[in-house]
Amino acid sequence: MIHSLFLVNASGDIFLEKHWKSVVSRSVCDYFFEALERATEPENVPPVIPTPHHYLINVLRHRIYFVAVIQSEVPPLFVIEFLHRVVDTFQDYFGVCTEAAIKDNVVVVYELLEEMLDNGFPLATESNILKELIKPPTILRTVVNTITGSTNVGEQLPTGQLSVVPWRRTGVKYTNNEAYFDVIEEIDAIIDKSGSTITAEIQGVIDACVKLTGMPDLTLSFMNPRLLDDVSFHPCVRFKRWEAERILSFIPPDGNFRLLSYHVSSQNLVAIPVYVKHNISFREGSSQGRFELTLGPKQTMGKAVESVLVSSQLPRGVLNANLNPSQGTYTFDPVTKLLSWDVGKINPQKLPSLKGSMSLQAGASKPDENPTINIQFKIQQLAISGLKVNRLDMYGEKYKPFKGIKYMTKAGKFQVRT
Amino acid sequence: MPYLGSEEVVKELRRALSNPNVQADRLRYKNYITKVIRYMTQGLDVSALFMDMVKASATVDIVQKKLVYLYMCTYASDKPDLALLAINTLRKDCADPNPMVRGLALRNMCNFRMPGMTEYIEQPIVAGLRDKASYVRRVAVLGCAKMHSLQPNTEIDGTIVNELYALLRDPDPVVVVNCLRALEEILKDEGGVVINKPIAHHLLNRMKDLDSWAQSEVLTFLLRYRPRSDDELFDILSLLDAFLLSSHAHVAVATLRLFLHLASAHPTVQADALLRTSAPLLATCGAASRELRFAGLCHVQQVMRSQPGLFGTHYKRFFCGYSEPSYIKFRKMEILVELVNDENVALVLEELRSYCTDVSPELAQAAIAAIGRIARTYSEKCLDILTGLLGLKQDHITSAVIQTFRDLVWFCPQSTAAVCQTVGACVDSPQDSEGKQALLWLLGEHGDQISSAPYVMEGYIDGLKTELSSAVKMELLTAAVKMFLCRPAETQDMLGRLLHYCIEEESDVCVRDRALLYYRLLQRGVEETRKVVTGPKSDPSMSVLTGRQEEPISEWDSTFNTLGPLAGCDLCPQTAATSAADQPSYDAEEEISLSLGPPLSHETFEKMWLDLETLHRQTLGFPRPRAAPDTLQAALQLVKIQTLAFTPGDTVPWKAYIYTRSTETLILAELLQGDQQAPGSDESLVVSVKQQPVNHMLLNLFFFFFALYDISLLTSTCMLQ
Repeated sequence: MIHSLFLVNASGDIFLEKHWKSVVSRSVCDYFFEALERATEPENVPPVIPTPHHYLINVLRHRIYFVAVIQSEVPPLFVIEFLHRVVDTFQDYFGVCTEAAIKDNVVVVYELLEEMLDNGFPLATESNILKELIKPPTILRTVVNTITGSTNVGEQLPTGQLSVVPWRRTGVKYTNNEAYFDVIEEIDAIIDKSGSTITAEIQGVIDACVKLTGMPDLTLSFMNPRLLDDVSFHPCVRFKRWEAERILSFIPPDGNFRLLSYHVSSQNLVAIPVYVKHNISFREGSSQGRFELTLGPKQTMGKAVESVLVSSQLPRGVLNANLNPSQGTYTFDPVTKLLSWDVGKINPQKLPSLKGSMSLQAGASKPDENPTINIQFKIQQLAISGLKVNRLDMYGEKYKPFKGIKYMTKAGKFQVRT
Repeated sequence: MPYLGSEEVVKELRRALSNPNVQADRLRYKNYITKVIRYMTQGLDVSALFMDMVKASATVDIVQKKLVYLYMCTYASDKPDLALLAINTLRKDCADPNPMVRGLALRNMCNFRMPGMTEYIEQPIVAGLRDKASYVRRVAVLGCAKMHSLQPNTEIDGTIVNELYALLRDPDPVVVVNCLRALEEILKDEGGVVINKPIAHHLLNRMKDLDSWAQSEVLTFLLRYRPRSDDELFDILSLLDAFLLSSHAHVAVATLRLFLHLASAHPTVQADALLRTSAPLLATCGAASRELRFAGLCHVQQVMRSQPGLFGTHYKRFFCGYSEPSYIKFRKMEILVELVNDENVALVLEELRSYCTDVSPELAQAAIAAIGRIARTYSEKCLDILTGLLGLKQDHITSAVIQTFRDLVWFCPQSTAAVCQTVGACVDSPQDSEGKQALLWLLGEHGDQISSAPYVMEGYIDGLKTELSSAVKMELLTAAVKMFLCRPAETQDMLGRLLHYCIEEESDVCVRDRALLYYRLLQRGVEETRKVVTGPKSDPSMSVLTGRQEEPISEWDSTFNTLGPLAGCDLCPQTAATSAADQPSYDAEEEISLSLGPPLSHETFEKMWLDLETLHRQTLGFPRPRAAPDTLQAALQLVKIQTLAFTPGDTVPWKAYIYTRSTETLILAELLQGDQQAPGSDESLVVSVKQQPVNHMLLNLFFFFFALYDISLLTSTCMLQ
């Protein structure tokens, strides 16, 4: 299935290769480099590149290309999702997935790749099981290993592989029993010139961190489950029960996992939490342009909008920007023409604004397109779709767990056209 | 990749590894081994250290073992004699009490890619298949496939195949799937693993225990199974129903493909499945990973070929984000064009209009072309936008707009007047050769409606010396001749200059020949020229009027969830061969046709004929054709059948050997008449057919050809010609 994997860094060097069947020469990557050269931006390399004898499927994450070499027909989504799983695993193990981190942990990387695929077929990809096979490196463990000379590999076969519930290992024990759920929503939106919404959708996830002893059976119910019409669940959720009663009933995996992810896309349901008043104009024949931007909160149920970051790619003709922020700091890179304004928290009483002028190249004609503004923000304690957890109950075990639920809304791809 | 000073490094490492002080200190020893691995992964040749590394494999430390195994697997094929030394340690590890060590040793032993390995690994693999730890069984099952790939030409070991089939009932789900994978590889030449009814139902019942990867693969294997009855079919579909909404896009898509395949006789079921999967597909199109988004879009595009309306209400999902990579934007635009209807046309056009000024010229041109496609149905609004774009005076935009105009006029003649008016008013002309050609074509074809046409063309003719592209020159010649036919007075002089230049001074042969052609044509008289140059042409506008047909699902379901559509090309030859071999014979009904292919030699034919069993014998009901051998041969070639040999004249019994091909299958046949031993052959022809490999669909096709084109009839038509 997956014949080989090459890791290529941003400057186009192969810094790691792994072959699961026969060795495929590095020269196969030449086709990839050709495509890389043709692409104007690093992101523009097409994900599937056909070559005379192979297919190359690549994903770009953290400025590293993960290039899989495929020799026979496979479902493409399968390979793409698998590569992402590999990256997620690296990130899980090393905290970050950079070239340096991979090179530092080259041994663990090989161990992982060896366990994740055998003869090109996925073998163990659940992080729970992998972590039992290969212990993730931590600073403490590295120190301990150095002193005792022991290793990162589990001496025993992971019991989880043989338990009745494949995603949970048996014999879990904790002194503090806790279950935390994070409801995180990302709002993707495109707002047009006049402030009306062109598209808006919410991508939500519920991530859980469950540390409970034994084999607990949890049920989670929502105040307004009708919101969730487009959901996908972790395999542990009993789907029949959800379809009948709209209640999540499950035996959780141990540790961190994603319980469910959902989409809310009908536009009348998606509230837009910030608004932008803008006036960006260039006059014909003048070398000056006006720039005015004001941000304000809207439909936030009284919660504060925090960590606001505004960025915008100004037209090529702009030489410099001389702006005056009412709060926060701004930077303008005259080479890439990227303007970014770190606003911080929006105070509804005193709306943040950025005003001033831009100087244009002398004699250049007026740019024919106004810049698009990208906004990032966070709202704590609010799920913008209005989703609310009603209650969480536990069956099957005697003790009383500590339960917690946190809500957060973030901006995903949130852009305003001007 | 040789590094400078690599010899130094290797020497130093060897000194360190063989130092007894280092060997005594586990940690230092391991550090050096890690160092060797690190150099190895950087492409440095450290194979010279093989002996030292083999020694290091005798340890209780699993990580160290793993590292040494990794090293050995990489270099074993280069140093087979030394690798044999390591096998003893590995075989000992295969009997270790710790199942991890057993599995690890077995896996690595199978990964040694050296020819003589089979005799050493066969016994541990067979033992591993019966191991009580599922981890070892998983490794052993795939080990069977690796062992087979070491000596691909040997006979398949029946006992191992049977054992693997038996292990399909293993309690561990990964073992089950690994069995399928291994059998598929081992039995590749025989068409892969056979999925019969008990296996299919067993797999279906185990589906929910499997992890998502295995689910996806099992769904692909199940494509080979064809239920016997409708009841069974619906049982299977209801079992699979939940997987249509799987949280893993690849499982949902694989399920959909199986649905479409199984329910090919029930269009309503197919439509229902498509409707249910539209939500997961749309979710994939909005996934966080851009590669997944791209794959999702490609799948949506395929589904839309049959169900254009399915995503109509979601058209806003296909609006491009500012920071998306261009390959996604291109796909989204293609989809948007398909989704346009009366309600959303204004919004979609406005959206596309904003892409036309994108920084990337390719993207801008694609957006303009997309507007051009929409203009075939909503010409007025689109023409306004396109005309507005000309006002921007950007070279690449102007060129793209003119090209779009050319295509629009061709597909949609009713917009000609408006286009001509715009082109006439447009002051600046495109600079690249594509755009120039488009403009010249418009001037030539509709010169009578563009008042300034001769002046624009004169400009081109005057600038001919500096023109580099010969394609532009050719177009200029054609356009000038066309214009001469409708506006002779204004054009005659410049046409003369053009022809003179092209015939006398032009260095490009094609242009010169084209000029000579027109010159001689004009010598024959204007009316003659008019007949040739502006003769009647095909009318492509018909296809626009009838609208785009909804294709049947069978047109694309065979490539659904495969790499072809994503790579933007058909299957590359090598995979085409393997995937065709993967296809079971009975579902090859999409496109079977006979082809001539390369000729067979007499020896090969004879050998195959003797080796193969007669698959089918049939009396045709008509006598042999009484025609000369050459005519008969030509007649058969018309229906793509090659003749190898036949008996001359009227000898009895009369025999002919013929053969033909269809993709993978070779069909051999013998025609016989007047043989005493074959019953029924006195009066009419008897055909015996042999096939390699067997494909019953083709057999039908072959006879269909014979029945349809009665050979006698064919020969008579051939003789007439």
